[in-house]
Amino acid sequence: MKFEPYQTAEIPGPLKAIPVERPQTVAGIIRNAKRPIVIMGSKTFDVVPEKTLRDIIQISKQVGAEIVVTGGINKKFEEIGIKEFKSMPAMELADRLRDPEWKGFDGKGNYDLAIFVGFRYYYGWLILSGLKHFSPEGFKTLSIEPYYQPHATFSLYNMKIDAWSNYISLIKESLKEKR
Amino acid sequence: MTFKIGELKTDIATLKNLEISLGRVEEEWEEPLGPTPMPSITSLRRWDYKLLQRYKPFYLPFCDLCCLCTFGKCDLTKGKKGACGIKMDAQQSRIVLLACCIGAATHTGHAREIVEFLVERFGRDLPLDLGDQVDLEAPNIRLVTGIKPRTVGDLEDVLDYVEEQIAHLLASTHTGQEGDPIDFESKVFHAGMLDHVAMEVADIAQIAAFNFPKGDPNARLAQLGLGIVDINKPVILVIGHNVIPSIYIVDYLNETGLKDEVEVCGLCCTAHDITRYNDRAKIIGPISWELRFIRTGVPDVIVVDEQCIRTDVLDEAAKIHAPLIAASEKACRGLPDRTYDPVEEIVEDLVSGRQKGALILDMDKVGEVATKVAIRLAPERKKFKALPSTEEVIEEAKRCLQCGFCQKACPNSLPIPEAMAMAKEGDLSKLAELYDYCIACGRCESACPSKLNIITMMVKSSEKKVKNEIFKVRVGRGPILDTEIRDVGRSIVLGEIPGIIAFVGCANYADGGTELVEMAEEFLKRKYIVVASGCAAMTIGMYKNDEGKTLYELYPGNFDAGCLVNVGSCVSNPHISGAAIKIANIFAKRPLRANYMEIADYVLNRVGAVGIAWGAMSQKAASIASGFWRLGVPVIVGPHGAKYRRMLLGRKEKRENWYVYDARTGKKVYVGPVPEHLFYAAETKEEAMIMAAKLCMRANDTTKGRAIKLTHYIDLYKRFYGKMPDDIHLFVRRLADIPITMKDEILAELEKKGWKETEIPDPTLIEELVRVKEE
Ligand code: SF4
Ligand code: SF4
Ligand code: SF4
Repeated sequence: MKFEPYQTAEIPGPLKAIPVERPQTVAGIIRNAKRPIVIMGSKTFDVVPEKTLRDIIQISKQVGAEIVVTGGINKKFEEIGIKEFKSMPAMELADRLRDPEWKGFDGKGNYDLAIFVGFRYYYGWLILSGLKHFSPEGFKTLSIEPYYQPHATFSLYNMKIDAWSNYISLIKESLKEKR
Repeated sequence: MTFKIGELKTDIATLKNLEISLGRVEEEWEEPLGPTPMPSITSLRRWDYKLLQRYKPFYLPFCDLCCLCTFGKCDLTKGKKGACGIKMDAQQSRIVLLACCIGAATHTGHAREIVEFLVERFGRDLPLDLGDQVDLEAPNIRLVTGIKPRTVGDLEDVLDYVEEQIAHLLASTHTGQEGDPIDFESKVFHAGMLDHVAMEVADIAQIAAFNFPKGDPNARLAQLGLGIVDINKPVILVIGHNVIPSIYIVDYLNETGLKDEVEVCGLCCTAHDITRYNDRAKIIGPISWELRFIRTGVPDVIVVDEQCIRTDVLDEAAKIHAPLIAASEKACRGLPDRTYDPVEEIVEDLVSGRQKGALILDMDKVGEVATKVAIRLAPERKKFKALPSTEEVIEEAKRCLQCGFCQKACPNSLPIPEAMAMAKEGDLSKLAELYDYCIACGRCESACPSKLNIITMMVKSSEKKVKNEIFKVRVGRGPILDTEIRDVGRSIVLGEIPGIIAFVGCANYADGGTELVEMAEEFLKRKYIVVASGCAAMTIGMYKNDEGKTLYELYPGNFDAGCLVNVGSCVSNPHISGAAIKIANIFAKRPLRANYMEIADYVLNRVGAVGIAWGAMSQKAASIASGFWRLGVPVIVGPHGAKYRRMLLGRKEKRENWYVYDARTGKKVYVGPVPEHLFYAAETKEEAMIMAAKLCMRANDTTKGRAIKLTHYIDLYKRFYGKMPDDIHLFVRRLADIPITMKDEILAELEKKGWKETEIPDPTLIEELVRVKEE
């Protein structure tokens, strides 16, 4: 059950996300990326406890990843005092991520690791599928949602929110240790 | 009739010595034939390529595999080819085309049934009279086929054409046929265009034959909701999309003097259409109300016609001891064919429970059997007309294992286990809360190992709410009047009315239907023209303000700024595309007949119309949307709409994609990303509203019009996102485009981006429409 698609019937096909059991491995994946980007979907505030949200933001800072929010959660971000983020509708962003010519938000070129969290399961599932099939060579996706997202390159597994919060904070700690 | 044309000159093309046969239609139409009568599957390919150059498909595959032939299954992951050579992008577009063929075929079959029925009953010469304020009665048919239909019989020729084209489209999905994604997409557009023609056939035929409202802005209000049915009377529930069986039920009741004795209520588009026919009929709601209403036990007999009906309706009907009558060849449900049996025998078998249902394809008989069964069964069925008691719900909840399978099966991931845990303790509030977000699909029940009746439990827990589901919806008025087009055409084209927002499609809402109401109200307050059809039109009526009024009671039904038009059922959608076509023809005097490309070019560049299909679910919704795309009308869908597995997205920063010809000079002019996308799945209603306001901007907007449109876009953006949008520089062409009230802010933004003034051309994408060629 751990590494099954969370939603019934969302069976992807032969190429499934590499499941990542250890937070330290996730930290390694993030650390190895040259240009990571963190994408937070419209359900972020429904799913992610504030402490975990802050951990994710901390993780982005640790590796210098830009944060992009989608679906108009900008205001809520500002309300909790987070100012440094970009925003773009998710479909527009995914469409650009698959384009090797895209210059990114900072004009320095496309990203090599897109980290997803805070999406409706099926909506994230579909975007990850689009990117799995049509993204440039070397581009990878990492789902840090509290469930298994089979179309990502790497994915966490189905877990309860408390366990997940703990997992995310361990990613943060691991990144801190190895700096 | 056969046309012989010595030479035909239009803006698009010159045709010489052409002979065109338009079936059996007796033609006396003064307008010359345009360049593309009855276009083949490639006649408009050039136009499609122009659109698809700007709006590139982004595929979101549902599955890595293809399993369409015995070469497969084939793994198409990441650029791998199937055994036939196809790649993932083409495979996805092929699936989209299949969906659109299903959608278009469904409406075409529906239209064919209506036309055949009317021809048989009333003859081919039944006139297509849509009232004295609708001279342009069939904008889609005239535009696409070149036929100006005068009688119901003329529509047979139109359908001949559509059916032939759908066969070609379907053929192109065969293994080894079409292989290029863009060519598949062009065919998707073709399917959509045909669909609008077929739907128009169905709707104008039924309007004319059954005297539905003919564009009346003050069409009466019908009752809507679960709470409107008088359960003391026998209740006939009709479900589906083809209104003919329901009409025969109502007629039978009228003829036998029983109209006050029996309740007739409907679900889905049949409900819309029966209220267009009869002032006593009532609408329960969209498709997602089907299980809910059946589970109340209220219907004494259920009559289904065609299309979006639960395929397990027979089981559900049996659970409440209500017989099912199937009245369409396309959905026989495994029932015995009783078409030629005597009425009394059928009634006996159904009332006695010897048979759970019957297939009856004789409409007179459907009317009589349904009525007699309902009247006979109602007294006996009283005991079934009740939901379980609160105690029973609590007891049922105690059987919950907290396994979570329901939540994993739920398309909206609703926390049912949590609600069950509370219900077990006697607190039904969470179950009642979930009711608002549940689309009553029943997947949770299918998954539940304890076989809990989760939907019934939710309905019981929401009983108070359900009883108060007493709303009003304006009856589908059908066409937009020619006079209305004359009145508003100019303001729309110049951009002074900020846009037309059309709420269409099904009820597969990710976060409840109230979102749709909120969106509609927002645009009404902002004085957009708001149009609705199908399930969306029902949902818009399912909310009351503090004074107990629905949006239909608060806003007039005209096609005008700040008004709310319900055109009717699914097949009424061509009145929306038709309105855009009419603006080009009636207001702008662009030739209409068989002149698709020029009219679509006009709409894309000048008519700020956007569709929002917030709960789009069906294959029909897919083909309806693709008909809008080809005509240059963008469509936004809700989150579940991403499952249509392909977006059509523009890239606003790619300047080279946003050039048009200035028809006055032939010069290529940059006009900015207007409209930015053709098909787009939004995550939230806020995102959808902002996008809709943005997609209403068109290349032809006057500076005053653009300023108005920008005001709404920026205002919505600031309200929801708390800051200025970062792309305003792409939409301001001249200083005069800047809304006065936001001048300083916008100027600061423009300066940051190094903005420069650009021209406002007479925009077109079609070379031949350039009046003066540059040397
Ligand atoms: S149609 Fe092509 S890709 Fe699909 S199963 Fe057959 S050979 Fe494979
Ligand atoms: S019926 Fe409602 S709760 Fe059950 S799976 Fe469908 S949407 Fe979810
Ligand atoms: S599937 Fe049934 S038993 Fe399992 S948690 Fe849901 S309601 Fe309870």
